Parts: sequence; structure tokens; C-alpha cells
Amino acid sequence: MDQPASSLTRRDMLKLGGAALAAGTTGAGLLAAQPAAAQTPKRGGTFRLRLAVSPVHFDPQQTVAFSTMVPLSFSHSRLVKVKAGSSVKPGTTPLEPDLAESWTQPNDTTYVFKLRRGARWHPKPPVNGREVTAEDVKYTYERFLTLPGNPNRGLLEQVDKIEAVDKYTVKFTLKEPFAWFLDALASTSTWIIAKEAVEQYGDLKRPEACIGTGPWMLERYEPNVRFTWVRNPNYFLPGLPHADGVDIALETDPSTALAVWLAGRYDFAPEYGMVVRRSDLDAVKPRKPGLQMQDYIVGFGGITWIKLEQEPFKDVRVRRALAIATNWKEVLETNAWSQGHGAPNPAIPAAFRDWSIPIDQLPAEGRRLYEHDPREAKRLLAEAGYPSGFKTTLETTAGYGPDWMDAVQVTLAGWKKAGIEADLKLKEYGAFVSTTLFGKFDKMGGGLFGLWADPESYLYRYFMPGQPLNASGVNDPKLTEMIRLQRRTFSAAKRREIVYDIQRYVAQHVYGLYGPSVSAVAAWEPYVKNFGPNIGHDYGGRLMVAWLDR
Amino acid sequence: MLRRYLLKRLVVAIPSLLIASLIVFTLPRLLPGDAVQLMLEEKAYAKDLDELRHKLGLDRPIYVQYFAWLGQVVRGDLGESLWTRRTVAEELAARLPVTLLLGGMAAAFAVIIGIPIGVLSAVRADTLRDYVARSAAILGLSVPGFWLATLVIILPALWWGWTPHLGFTEFSKNPTAHVLQFILPSLILGIASGASIMRLTRAMLLEVLRQDYVRTAWAKGLRERAVVLKHSLKNAVIPVVTVFGIQVAQIFSATVIIESIFQLPGMGRFLFDAILQRDYPVIQGINLLVVSIIVLLNLLVDLTYAVLDPRIRYS
Repeated sequence: MDQPASSLTRRDMLKLGGAALAAGTTGAGLLAAQPAAAQTPKRGGTFRLRLAVSPVHFDPQQTVAFSTMVPLSFSHSRLVKVKAGSSVKPGTTPLEPDLAESWTQPNDTTYVFKLRRGARWHPKPPVNGREVTAEDVKYTYERFLTLPGNPNRGLLEQVDKIEAVDKYTVKFTLKEPFAWFLDALASTSTWIIAKEAVEQYGDLKRPEACIGTGPWMLERYEPNVRFTWVRNPNYFLPGLPHADGVDIALETDPSTALAVWLAGRYDFAPEYGMVVRRSDLDAVKPRKPGLQMQDYIVGFGGITWIKLEQEPFKDVRVRRALAIATNWKEVLETNAWSQGHGAPNPAIPAAFRDWSIPIDQLPAEGRRLYEHDPREAKRLLAEAGYPSGFKTTLETTAGYGPDWMDAVQVTLAGWKKAGIEADLKLKEYGAFVSTTLFGKFDKMGGGLFGLWADPESYLYRYFMPGQPLNASGVNDPKLTEMIRLQRRTFSAAKRREIVYDIQRYVAQHVYGLYGPSVSAVAAWEPYVKNFGPNIGHDYGGRLMVAWLDR
Repeated sequence: MLRRYLLKRLVVAIPSLLIASLIVFTLPRLLPGDAVQLMLEEKAYAKDLDELRHKLGLDRPIYVQYFAWLGQVVRGDLGESLWTRRTVAEELAARLPVTLLLGGMAAAFAVIIGIPIGVLSAVRADTLRDYVARSAAILGLSVPGFWLATLVIILPALWWGWTPHLGFTEFSKNPTAHVLQFILPSLILGIASGASIMRLTRAMLLEVLRQDYVRTAWAKGLRERAVVLKHSLKNAVIPVVTVFGIQVAQIFSATVIIESIFQLPGMGRFLFDAILQRDYPVIQGINLLVVSIIVLLNLLVDLTYAVLDPRIRYS
């Protein structure tokens, strides 16, 4: 099934403590999570968990911040959502109806959604629990597309027209075929919002305006301290959510959060994605017998952009030498989250297990990129006319945190062994975001990828000419056509083939250098049932189907 | 005389505040990357950037923005956050009391710990007690507050599965719990300053104790308590008061980390986030407030001199 499109920002990464490296899924559980299918759900109780940062505000159409999208996943709904539960494999994101009961696609550019009858807004002013209608959906997406400065607008820029056909039917007409449309609608930035709230408060930035149709309602928000959510009595899915409430502690310091978890005050591991650092596992395991854990690659990885029009990078042999000289295994070994566990990344992060091509399916020269071999790198350089190596510069930021800088140092050391001397230029985080990220660097720039939760973005945004994030300056007509083709291909199997071909092609031409992704460990208490970790910010969706059985 | 002095100092403070306002306005804008770029990050398209800059008034010349902001400040309006659209005054009103209480208690602890131990150490110079006190002071100066705070939380969790109270209880809900929750963080926050004050008090008091008038006091047969506390300490603590003023400023800057660790919704954490987000009105508002507090604090310190030493006159 396709992937949803939502995103982490680079600043989010910074706030997540510089987790630095990316994730997909190895699939192997450390201590297999208990299957919940055969158990009877229990009603009641309150989930307790931790987030590291307060939301920038509560308007999903005025930010890309995960710190906003995670809280809204408790209180808001979309038309379609990612299925959740212990049976869903991390790294896969099967879609299912949310506020839409069903949908049809009469032609390549038209989607018609039937809304659930009787779905109601939270029983709060100014909406006071009125019924959700097609006009609400139309209002939401029209605001999404027209609000000046909505940073998420690109997600649905293919939408041409939205019509409320009747009270419960809404029709989307696209400008051109876009096979990822449903996935875009399942993004955690496309929440259905209430017109009355926007009108009353001017926008949705205030916590009072946090009004949705989701499983819980925001009862109390104390900036930098906590969220308190209570069960929505009007929720449209019968019997859900199981828990009466959710308490979220906003605790910035990771060490404090670990201590609080050890003291039994959280039900889930404290890091983003319900993850615990492997380096902490020795302290955790003896103190938490029966803890449920699952290996889980959470999504981020290093990427190096190369100025392709410049010498010596014009020569693909030089780019291959750089990749072969990169010791990705050592990067994983030195990382506290992974301690050697993880996966190498092709052009689409390994976290997307359905879309990221396995390394062994790359062509021979592509596979070779992942076999660290300084001698071979030297040979390639000599062949390209650089027998003594060369000097270059790499711009990056220390803002991603110490784990990231460790990875950079390991990478530079690998290059040095092949005779490539890279002078490290560090930029302040804000400066990095406004320059390097957009290709304003001298020779090479290094940052994190894994920022988007849809696989398509890694192709479209990095390789399409004219895209602001095409920092390497890729302009390859064949690649451009392949990317366009996959957007027009509705059969998931056929699209996957094209996406695989693109990754093969990119590996042959080495349009970027990809670091590995860490395999971290998601962990939750034994009394939490039917919980399954996954990529993306949909905490609310995953907790809605889980229950407490103390 | 005192009134004239006060008036003079307040008038002198105006250019200081104006210069400070210029600095706090200009410096954040010298950092590459503005609030709009950080709001949109990698999803920024040129049109969106321009639209949002216009909407937030950031497309105007910098001097126009400065004078517009200054005009607001004079009218008591610190502007509104670029991110949350809440007024800076509203944001500060919620956070300032937390930081003031935390910083105030830390300063109180610093004095309560520093001065008595400093006096004891000076009076019992070169004894075991003095050595212990001096060693403890060096330790207090050397140990970073964030490290100590982390240990205080982590070690009990590892040993006993327990942590001290974290989070925030409002005064209106439970006044006792509200005050109690500040004790541990403020104690940690005040340790370094307490150590500093202790060492200075000891050094100053030792010097005073060698003065002729003190020897005269001893010769008169006065009790130790009277000689030390009545005749010596007052003169010894004048430099301590000066340093205390500086220490208070340091304590407030250290609240950023301690507030984060103990989950206290104060101003420090708010300022840190604002800097990362280039939320100019918030950065300006908080810094201007802090500068004003420091200016007032220094004035208070100067006034305290006369209380401690009547020979000091204001002119």
C-alpha cells in the first residue's frame, strides 16, 4: 500500500535531540510484542507519555512542525488515515477510512469521498458538537490551498477544485493525474478543521482553537509542562478510543525523561516514536521486566549534496569514490541509538520498506557503493585523473546534535583514507537552513534526510529541476521523465517498479551520497495492548486502538 | 539628596536602555536566516517567503521596523510573537513569575549558604572547618548546575525507581506544592553563586578582621559575635553586595537549563526557543526586560552601599 505524506522538519530533527540517523525497519523484534488480536479490549485508564517539545502553535496549515502535528493527531481526523495496531508492520502504512466512509475514483483526476453520517465535532464552543459536513472538508482544503504561507501547500498542489456535492459527498478534481493523492490526504498535516474556530480566533494558533473530530479532546495545555486529553464522547468510531485520556509530559531533557520513565511515570519509551536509545537498554531491561520491544527504524539518515557541475564532481568515478570511501557501518557502530544496528539507504530511505529498493537489487556498480573500500576508491580517483586524491569542502551544521557530528567525522575519516581531504565548514543551524539546504554552498553540503513520510518526495524534491531542494543541481531529462511517469502510474506494483528503476538509475549516477539509517528500539509497558510503533507523527491514531490492561 | 540621586540615575538609565534596545533589535537580525525561512524551512517557495514576510511586516526597512517597535515599547506594548501571534506581554506574564521565583529563591539560597559559611570560614581560618568549607566552595564552583540537576534526577531513578517532583503546579491549585517544587532546582541553581559569595565573604572578612578598629574592638573586650557581625561584617560585605548583583544576572541566565530539566514553564526556555525560531519581538521583549531588571538591580546595589556604610554619600 502507498505511503502517507507528512513530514519532519530539519528543526524538528534538532529538537529530537539530533537523532541524526535514519530508519526503516529490520523487522526483527528484540522481545516480541504481544499480539492483541485475540484479547478483549479494555476500556478506561490514561496513557502517559513524553514529548520533547511544545507545539509552535496549533494551526496545522501554518507550520510544518512535528511538535504541532503530534498533538493534533489526538484531536483531529483526516479523510483517510494510516491503519494502526500491533498487526501493522513498522515501515508500512496501509490506508483506511477516517472521516470518509468510502471513496471512488471515476477517472485519473477525480476523487469522490462519501463522509460518515453522524460524525460530530467536539462538544465545545463555537462548534458545540454539530455534525461534520462536506462543506467542512471543502473549507479545510480551500484554506489549505489558499492560506498565504502555508508551508504544506505543496503536498496538495495538484488539486484544482473541491466541490461539496451534497451534505455528505465531496469531490476533488486534480490538475493532472497524481498517484500519491490518497497518501497525501493521509498526511498528518491535512487535518479537517472547523470554520467557526478560524472565524472566532482569527486562526488556529491558540490552544482554545484546537477543536476537531478526533478521539480525544484537549482539556488542558500548559506550555513546556503538559497536555491533558480526555475522551471525545462524540467520536464517530463506536467503542473507540479505549483509553479515557492521555497525559503528555513536555520534558525537554532526554536524561530526565529516561529517569522519569524508569520511575514508572510513562507507559512508553521516552524518545520520539516511543523509542529508547540502545545505549540505555542495559539500564532499562533489568528495571522493566516484561517490557515489550520492537526493532524499528525511525526514518532519518545523512545525505551529502554534491555540486555536479563542478570539477572534480562532474566525473561519476569521483562521486563513486566518495561513496565507496564512506564507512556507513562505522557510522552505525558509533551511534548511541543504533550501536551497529541499522540499514544502508538508497535514494528512498530504507524505512519505507515497500518503496526503498533492497541494496542487493541495485546494479553491480550501485551495490559496490555500499562496500567500504578505500583502495577501490583510490583506484577510481586515479582513473579519473586524481591519483593523489583532492581537497574539497563540506558544509554542514552542528545543530543536529552530537550524534550527527560523530557521523560526519567518521565519514570524513573514511574519505581521508582514500585521499579525499574535506575541510569541514560548520554553519549555525538557521544559517544552514537558509543557505546550504537550498544549494548555496561551495562544493559539498551535508544534512539529514528522512524529513518526509512519503517516499515520492525523496525523488521529486531532490531530483526535479527547479525544485528548491535540488541542492546538487540535478538536471537529467531521463530521470525527470521517470519521476513524472511514476506520478501518473496508479498501479502500486507498476509504480513500485518505476520507483525501483529510479533508485537503480540514481545509484548508477551517484547524484547524492546517502548515509545509513539507525535501527532503534521502540518499547512500551507490558500492560499496554495492541500498540504497534510506526513511522510518522500519528501518535493519536496508534493509541486510539491500543488499551491498558493493568 | 537620595531623591535627586535616584532621579539622576534613572535619567542616566534612559540612554543605556536605548542603546540596549538597539542592540537587542539588531543582533538577532544579523544572524543568517529569518523567522520566515525557519517557519517554512525546506518547503519554502520564493512566493510564500515574500507573502509571509509582508504579512509579518518583515519586508520593511530595518530602521522603520526599529522605530515602529520603539514607538510601541514606549507605549508599553512589546509587540506580538511572530509564531504564536500572542502578545509578548501576555507570554511574559505567564512565564516571568516562574523565573522570578526560581531565580529569587536561588539568590536567597546563595546568600543563606554563602555568607554564614564565609563568615565561619574566615573566623576559623586555617582550621579543619575552613578547609572543608573552602573545598566545598571549589566543588560548588566547579560542578556544572545542569550536571548536578541531571544526577539528582537520574540516580534515584536508577537506585530506587523514584524521581523528585517534575512538572509544574500552579499557585492557585496548591500554594504549598507550588513553592516546594522550586526548592530543589533553586538550590542547585544557587550553589555556584553561593560558593562564589562564600569565598568572597571569607576573603573580605579576613581583610577587615586585620584592621586596627577591629583590633580595638577586641581590646575593648567585646564578644566575638559583636566584633564579627556588628563591626566587621558590614564593611566586609560591600564588595559581596556588588558581586551579588552580578551573580543574580548569572542566575537568571542559568535558569534556561534548569527550567528545561525540571519542566518549569519559565522565561529562560521561552527565550531559548525564540532565539532558535528568530522570533524577534519575543527576543527583543525578553532582553529589554532583563536589561531593565539588571539596571534596576544595579541601582538597588548602589543604594545598599549607604545602608551598609553610612560614610558613603550620594551626590
